[in-house]
Amino acid sequence: MVRALDTKLLRDLWRLRGQALAIGLVIGAAMATFVMALGVHHSLTQTRDAYYDRYQYGDIFVSMTRAPRSIVQRIEAVDGVAIAEGRIEQFATLEFADRIEPVRALINSVGADGESKLNRLVLAEGRGPVIDKANEVVIDKAFADANDLDLGARIDAVVYGSRTRLEVVGIGLAPDYIWSIAPGELIPDASRYGIFWMGEKALEAASGRTGAINALSLKLERGASEDEVVRHVDAIVAQYGGTGAVGREDHMSNAFLTSELDQLEAMTTIIPPIFLLVSTFLVYVVLGRTIRTEREEIGLMKAFGYGNWAIGWHYLKFAIAVALIGILMGSALGWWMGLSMTEQYAEYYRFPFLYYQVAPNVFATGAALAFGSAGIGAIGGVRAAAALTPAVAMSAPPPPIYRAGLVEKFGQWADISAVGNMIIRHIARWPGRSAVTVSGVALSLALLFATIQFIDGSRAMLDNYFFRAQRQDISVAFIEPQNEKVLFELASMPGVLRVEPARAVPVVMRNGALSERVGIEAAEIDDRLSARVDANGFEVPLPASGLMLSRPLAEKLDLAPGDRAEVELLGGRQTKTTLTVASIIDELIGTRAYARSEALSRLTRDGTPVGSANLLIDPLYRDQLITELSDMPLVLGITERDAAMQLFEEIIEENIMAMMGFYIAFAAAIAVGVVYNSARILFSERAHELATMRVLGYHRSEVGIVLLGELALLVVVAVPVGCLTGYFLAQLMVAMFSSDLFRLPFAPDRSSYGFAALVVLAAASATALIVARRVARLDMVRVLKARD
Amino acid sequence: MPEAVKTEPGNGREVAFVGRSLRKTYVTGETEVHALRGVDLDIMAGEILVLLGPSGSGKSTLLNIVGGLDRPTSGELWYRDTELTALDEADLTRFRRSSIGFIFQFYNLIPSLTAEENVRLVTDIAENPMSAKEALELVGLGDRRHHFPAQLSGGEQQRVAVARAVAKRPGVLLCDEPTGALDSATGVRVLETLAEANRELGTTLILITHNAGIAAMADRVFNFLDGQIASIETNENRISASEMTW
Repeated sequence: MVRALDTKLLRDLWRLRGQALAIGLVIGAAMATFVMALGVHHSLTQTRDAYYDRYQYGDIFVSMTRAPRSIVQRIEAVDGVAIAEGRIEQFATLEFADRIEPVRALINSVGADGESKLNRLVLAEGRGPVIDKANEVVIDKAFADANDLDLGARIDAVVYGSRTRLEVVGIGLAPDYIWSIAPGELIPDASRYGIFWMGEKALEAASGRTGAINALSLKLERGASEDEVVRHVDAIVAQYGGTGAVGREDHMSNAFLTSELDQLEAMTTIIPPIFLLVSTFLVYVVLGRTIRTEREEIGLMKAFGYGNWAIGWHYLKFAIAVALIGILMGSALGWWMGLSMTEQYAEYYRFPFLYYQVAPNVFATGAALAFGSAGIGAIGGVRAAAALTPAVAMSAPPPPIYRAGLVEKFGQWADISAVGNMIIRHIARWPGRSAVTVSGVALSLALLFATIQFIDGSRAMLDNYFFRAQRQDISVAFIEPQNEKVLFELASMPGVLRVEPARAVPVVMRNGALSERVGIEAAEIDDRLSARVDANGFEVPLPASGLMLSRPLAEKLDLAPGDRAEVELLGGRQTKTTLTVASIIDELIGTRAYARSEALSRLTRDGTPVGSANLLIDPLYRDQLITELSDMPLVLGITERDAAMQLFEEIIEENIMAMMGFYIAFAAAIAVGVVYNSARILFSERAHELATMRVLGYHRSEVGIVLLGELALLVVVAVPVGCLTGYFLAQLMVAMFSSDLFRLPFAPDRSSYGFAALVVLAAASATALIVARRVARLDMVRVLKARD
Repeated sequence: MPEAVKTEPGNGREVAFVGRSLRKTYVTGETEVHALRGVDLDIMAGEILVLLGPSGSGKSTLLNIVGGLDRPTSGELWYRDTELTALDEADLTRFRRSSIGFIFQFYNLIPSLTAEENVRLVTDIAENPMSAKEALELVGLGDRRHHFPAQLSGGEQQRVAVARAVAKRPGVLLCDEPTGALDSATGVRVLETLAEANRELGTTLILITHNAGIAAMADRVFNFLDGQIASIETNENRISASEMTW
């Protein structure tokens, strides 16, 4: 049988269903983001680990110019190496009849029928390539999808200077290419860059590397030291132009996935706590009000012999029930959002399968946090209920005491209308609750602002990178570094207005025990097509001598201007030199270093300082130029700035579409939860006064002003507070979401403050108006009879 | 206006309210409560009228209808040239605003406003009000006008309520048990103030009371029973409020 007190609880919940639901909404938002972020994190981690494990993702990767295949045995003999496997990685330029823009592929060699020991190919369709059939390739699924290529499709390609026609025999993917990007690009573009796999013998022949390899993957024995093995491997491959071995942590595909997972984790530590904090506030005010209105009932129950514990527990159960509503709604929503987000991730990160599952402990932890927050909010009210003695509780509550305080004096001094005084004094009379309303609405605004400013950040980065730092129309990457003659060749092509060389020299930079692999980018002081631009959009001049380091790199190596860094060339000669750090630049992308070409040529000591070239062109000649460049055998790739920029914009737009709805809904959930509860409490407290005013001849709209005026005043105060909070919250989120790979600048557009304020104001107004409609239902007659 | 009204009963006064066949039925669930069962009445401008009767006899319902807070289920009610029963919600509000002053048993002051501001709540929206200070002086509280309700005694609070009601110079003052929560001496003081408003401003005063003693100050007394006016007494020799005790 349901006990009477529990029946009361159910009736209370029903009576306060609007308010309970509004708080539930906020708790639900907390739960949903928590379940979503951790669920996606868990699912992606599980999927990744299973994929890596099942398809033998390597532990260490190293590239070199060219090494005999026999090197694999030498590497395998290194202490700690379980499996070593060599392969060829060869870039190819692809030609599609109807497309002018350059399309590239990286062809990887595989054993018989596409088999390999490490980084094993997963075939989605078709079969593996025959080991020595020169025209058979497996293409990656993303590329196939983006370009509408099916089994049997033929692709014209230039591989190592020879034109050939490739046949798609399979479509697949591999664990070392969960994420891939063309060299020199900023954003992955599956339609312009593909990963292919070709039979080993066939690729040896096609790339002129019979009996040779240019890349190695290793699997470590359990418990082996990665650093130790890397050192040994680097020593062995050095003479073959090894560019330094890296572990999974620095392997591009895994590094990007990891940074994404880190962002998800950051999300769980910032967003749900905000919702939970607000829900704590709300439970505090709603329960506090309920207990004040139920003083007599509490007194009666105590007079009947219910103990303090029973009464306290009764009200605590109210908070628990409200939390439960939120937990149930949030769990379902979070699960669903996580699923759709995981599917979205599968667009960018290529997995052969996706495990979507949210571990029970995610739900349990989320629920515990939700119960905890609601419980903390309930403590004040529960203690007050327990502390009431029956005699006190059953006497009428003392009327709210207003005395001639500061606020009252202000009202008289400023000659504010009677209605104005009612509003101001009520706010001052309940400062705690007013503060809850202000801070709740402010947090809703802050959260919305902090999330949408990432869009501004992306746009700022776009502007920073594409308009300020990169001013070329086209950049041309060469298969291997060229001498300066190539610049003259390019300059003489039709439509080329200006040519500037560029080069990145792979080095290991050291400071004492600290070391970091980095490409030092060569530039000239009078370069016009590329510039180094800091996070604020200011161009930072290249130092006349010495190195300029990006801040993350300087911090990793603990280097400051004036310090000397030891620099060792990777690939080719293992020349070592020391260079002085001349300046530090705050950049948005990557860990980078710059120096004048002259300084680098001392290190490289070669006559081929041109790794790529930046071109300014006459747009009229664009098509012709691209066709001609694609035909040059020494050209590895062509990147068009406009196309990259457009792609970047598309990605931003897509993200806006996908996430904006969530952000707005969540921010609105807080605003609605806070305003609805404030309005209901305000209304219940003031119903008597409002009805009196109606009796005295005030119209509904005029009475509504007393109710809405107070809320409006609080919300108006909340807007600047919210903007300020958002300003700091956004910076915290920017810091937490930035990784080694890139960080978004904190560069909010002013309109984002306005937009966030508008959404919150709209949600608050709509909610307040719904409550204000109750003014029409005020029972004037009852006022005549009843004491408040 | 109904024909009957033109015959002016008594003292050559103008007629303030005319009601014909006023019925009020409340439906709560499956039970119907007939609060008024066809009441006809004429209330003279400037008279003091006391409504007497047991609980549930219909006097409060009538007061609410007369004050424009409620509508009869059927019948018609006129205030001077205006048919109240034909007004919509907004017009009824306007009617209360311009013509009616209310005084309640429990004062219904706004606790967050001082005495003067409580009066200003009404003078802010009235057409031709006296000043709040003036109204408070009229009830003898000129020196306490900056006090909040919580700082005033019950009698003082009720006098603020009276000041609030008379400040707009209403045509009609409606009082529902105005002395119900007060001791005898304080109650008399309040009634004196009401009588004074009636005398000075020519305000029609309609009072509900359980206290038959108060009937002595009325021009007429309506005795209510079962939703009808059972009898009407006319006081030939009414006494002043100060002479009353209970």
